[in-house]
Amino acid sequence: MPVFFRQMTVRASAPWLWAAVACVAAVVAAGCSRSEKGRLVAEPEAPAAQATTTDARQSAPPEAAFEPPPLEALDRDAKWIDRPVKDALAVLREQQAKEPVLGTVAEALALKNDSAQANATILSALGRLPEKGAADLEARIDRHVAGDLGSTNPILISSSAEFDILGLTGFGLFSYDRTLEPFANAETVVSWQTSADGLYDKVVMRDDVVWSDGKPITAHDIAFTYRVIMDPRVPVPAVRTGTDQMKGVHAYDDRTVVFFHKEPLATNVWNINYPVLPQHVYEGTWEKDPTLKDSPEHVTLEEKPISGGPYEILSRKRGQEIVLRRRESWSQVNGRTAREQPYFKDIRFRIIEDPNTALLALKSGEIDEMILQPEQWTTQTIDDDYYRLNTKATAPEWVSFHFAWNIGTPFFADRRVRRAMSYAFDHDRMLEKICLGLYEPCAGNFAPGSWMAGPKRLEPYKQDLDKAEALLDEAGWTDHDNDGIRDKEIDGQIVPFEFALLVNQQPFRIAICTLLKENLEQIGVIANVRPVEVTAMQEMMQKKNFQACFSGWGSGTDPDTSENIWKTGEMRNYCGYSNPEVDRLFAEGRRELDRNRRAEKYARIQEILYEDQPYTWLFWRNSFYGFSKSLRGYAFSPRGPYHYSPGSGSLWKPRAE
Amino acid sequence: MMAAHGFWIEAWRRYRRRPLAMAALGFVGFLMAVAAFAPAIAGTKPVLCRYKGRLYAPCLAYVDRRFEPAIFAKDKFRGTYPKNLAEKDPESWAIWPLFFQDPYRAVRADEWPGRPENPAMDKGIPSRSHPFGTDQAGVDVLAKMVHGTTVALLVGFVSMGIAGTIGILIGALGGYFGGWIDAVTSRVTEIVMCIPTLVLILAIVAIIEKPTIWHTMAIIGFTGWTGIARLTRGEFLRLKGAEYVTAARAAGAGPLRIMLRHILPNALAPILVPITFGIAAAILVESGLSFLGFGAPPPSASWGSILNGARSNLAMWWLVVFPGIAIFLTVLAYNLVGEGLQEATDPRLREARK
Repeated sequence: MPVFFRQMTVRASAPWLWAAVACVAAVVAAGCSRSEKGRLVAEPEAPAAQATTTDARQSAPPEAAFEPPPLEALDRDAKWIDRPVKDALAVLREQQAKEPVLGTVAEALALKNDSAQANATILSALGRLPEKGAADLEARIDRHVAGDLGSTNPILISSSAEFDILGLTGFGLFSYDRTLEPFANAETVVSWQTSADGLYDKVVMRDDVVWSDGKPITAHDIAFTYRVIMDPRVPVPAVRTGTDQMKGVHAYDDRTVVFFHKEPLATNVWNINYPVLPQHVYEGTWEKDPTLKDSPEHVTLEEKPISGGPYEILSRKRGQEIVLRRRESWSQVNGRTAREQPYFKDIRFRIIEDPNTALLALKSGEIDEMILQPEQWTTQTIDDDYYRLNTKATAPEWVSFHFAWNIGTPFFADRRVRRAMSYAFDHDRMLEKICLGLYEPCAGNFAPGSWMAGPKRLEPYKQDLDKAEALLDEAGWTDHDNDGIRDKEIDGQIVPFEFALLVNQQPFRIAICTLLKENLEQIGVIANVRPVEVTAMQEMMQKKNFQACFSGWGSGTDPDTSENIWKTGEMRNYCGYSNPEVDRLFAEGRRELDRNRRAEKYARIQEILYEDQPYTWLFWRNSFYGFSKSLRGYAFSPRGPYHYSPGSGSLWKPRAE
Repeated sequence: MMAAHGFWIEAWRRYRRRPLAMAALGFVGFLMAVAAFAPAIAGTKPVLCRYKGRLYAPCLAYVDRRFEPAIFAKDKFRGTYPKNLAEKDPESWAIWPLFFQDPYRAVRADEWPGRPENPAMDKGIPSRSHPFGTDQAGVDVLAKMVHGTTVALLVGFVSMGIAGTIGILIGALGGYFGGWIDAVTSRVTEIVMCIPTLVLILAIVAIIEKPTIWHTMAIIGFTGWTGIARLTRGEFLRLKGAEYVTAARAAGAGPLRIMLRHILPNALAPILVPITFGIAAAILVESGLSFLGFGAPPPSASWGSILNGARSNLAMWWLVVFPGIAIFLTVLAYNLVGEGLQEATDPRLREARK
């Protein structure tokens, strides 16, 4: 199944209030966001991230004058290098074959996940793919999402729920595995080649893939979709990022498509991965209605989209559920078996916003899986009542949270003040008392242990109130008027150090902000914790109309995706951070094709950011999932158990004995 | 022959005969005392202390942060007094609150010599050191409830003070003058009745920079006066034809004097009744808002916000039971007071009772 790399917004499961997906966005479940592709990657945990479409780059129309050279000329000059074409399930099977078996299924099902060892055993025994014939191919899985779909149109996706559904119903040429290594999908691709100079990618597609209406999927669909995505009239929230780095896409015949890049970038492998629309359906309609949503034809398509993936949407009740049915024309084409059948006949997504309600549904067997909040993990999923039908598993995930300081305000323009904030915060207490020891400390923007983070492990700033006070004194924030609150004369006015700290309406996040407030109050700084609704917060951040906020990013598959968070003047550089050296290193990193030399540049960026502390980094949010005992095959990547390939396609239920 | 008593003395005598209403009044009095002395009942800052030769009352910081003497910030007390007082001035002494627990934060280990850190998450079950338990963050629920009393009472009195003033003014004008003034005030009243208070509060909370409990009170007050206005108008309509009003007018009294001096005192009793019920309703609205997370910004000690904490873990029953009982009793008490007042002052009800 295809997996797309763009950023998605995962929503949080916030308290009842809003609808999002839970997730990170909720913390843990709440808001985070995940993924990405290309540049936009990391995204705040807020759903609103979609608004990021306004990235300046996207407004550039595709070069109208682009003239593809004849294929013979390309083949002659390109010096093609073969790239991997793999079957995602086979890759996972191979990886799992190398892992030691830590226990039998029966042992794992009897375990309670209360230690690292139990967790490893559960993942090892229950996370495996089925032996031949072991999976019940008539089974249905009931999955949990915390928010409904905004759109079923493949190129309008943005939230994690939309990515989830598109991963099952969309057609794609590329994917990446559990270690985030990209490959072309053997289910749809015959060969993938890149030119020696890195400027072209050529893909030859299989001839036995069809849309759910029976029409063949061809290279022309791929070139057509690129044109639609790049048309500035089409309101594409997420997937234009990356495609805008290409010069063009051209279909030479029904099966051969070539991607033309502007520059030989390390990120080109992500840029060529985008969802695909059926040209024969949209050709006549999209110019008339570039919103892709408003015209009667598009309304019908929104209800009943044409599927290019292994599943199609069977029915949908808004705000309640989305049911997908396996598409026989995916595996059976022209009377022969073209591909393996996916393991589930039906996939039902239950939409439940409130994580507590979702947990009740999991306990009663109404849903088969969900993301667990830390408090749910430690206190509400430990008794026999929970383990009667379910088990749970955890793994590290590249989703981190931080306090962001708006450098454009008089408070945080000075690096010493930002460092003082970090020194004031009781990081240990947060990890221990609020995160309950479940999350890894976070000190920088790249996940420790990932290639881009470099070998040096950064330590979070330890609480040291004396140091914090000294830094504030040095920066001129002292208590001039003897009211117990630090202040500073700015333009002839005494400004007290009192700022608003924005946070989503989620108890877990508010608790962390309240701890910061308590810490700062001890050194004469007033932080007013201000819970705001997710979309409102997103808007304030985009307008830089905030002083400080608590937020998170799901980091991308490639470090370049975070450039738009740190580069001067970029859209998602909400704190207004600017450092010419960081700008330069990002530009160099993208052009550096050697992995090790690239890694040095990103490690250096991380060090600079650590010294400048535009964020006070807090923790990496691990994945915590509850799974029904009838479920097998969950394997975690740094982006959770689903957002890679095969991801959700590796889940299965055993045949009844 | 018995001396004729004034109306209010008579009403008080009748009120006193109703044990439930008296108990309710006593409870309200008790809440007021708790609210007034909250910083001395529960807190971590001395009620009174002598430090470096001078007297201070740091507990006033709970009323307003600016009341915390700056010397403690200068001397880096950082919010913890017991140890710092002893270390930085061995001569110092302090009178501590009855219950050494903070409504806004968890008390840390050894903050009070020999006392362990507050338990957090689901470990905070009520115990001897925490009679009402602690919440997820380890904040003592009893301390929170004591300080939350202030919020609950303030909400009731301030919002109904605003509503009462507006309602009586508008109702009196409309009822007394009649004609086009009545038409205008009645229409305005009807328009305001159409404003959904809760939605308005949610909208305002989203707009303003620093929403506080005062905004909530103001909104409840500015939207909750309609019932009072209608009742006042009715009373004024009825009384303006009374003989003593006609007499006053004949004696040359102006409209203002007639309204304030002659009609209002006689109309006040029935108007007080919806005001008491309004206080109860305002407390419920505030608790509801805090429960939903739209109340005072965190960390807040409002009763509703304690309830909110229970939503994420229903096993922490003490987060439901204690604030729930407090809200229930307070609302009940105000309703009983209102009912007692109604029966004590309404002559028709009085007759019926006999």
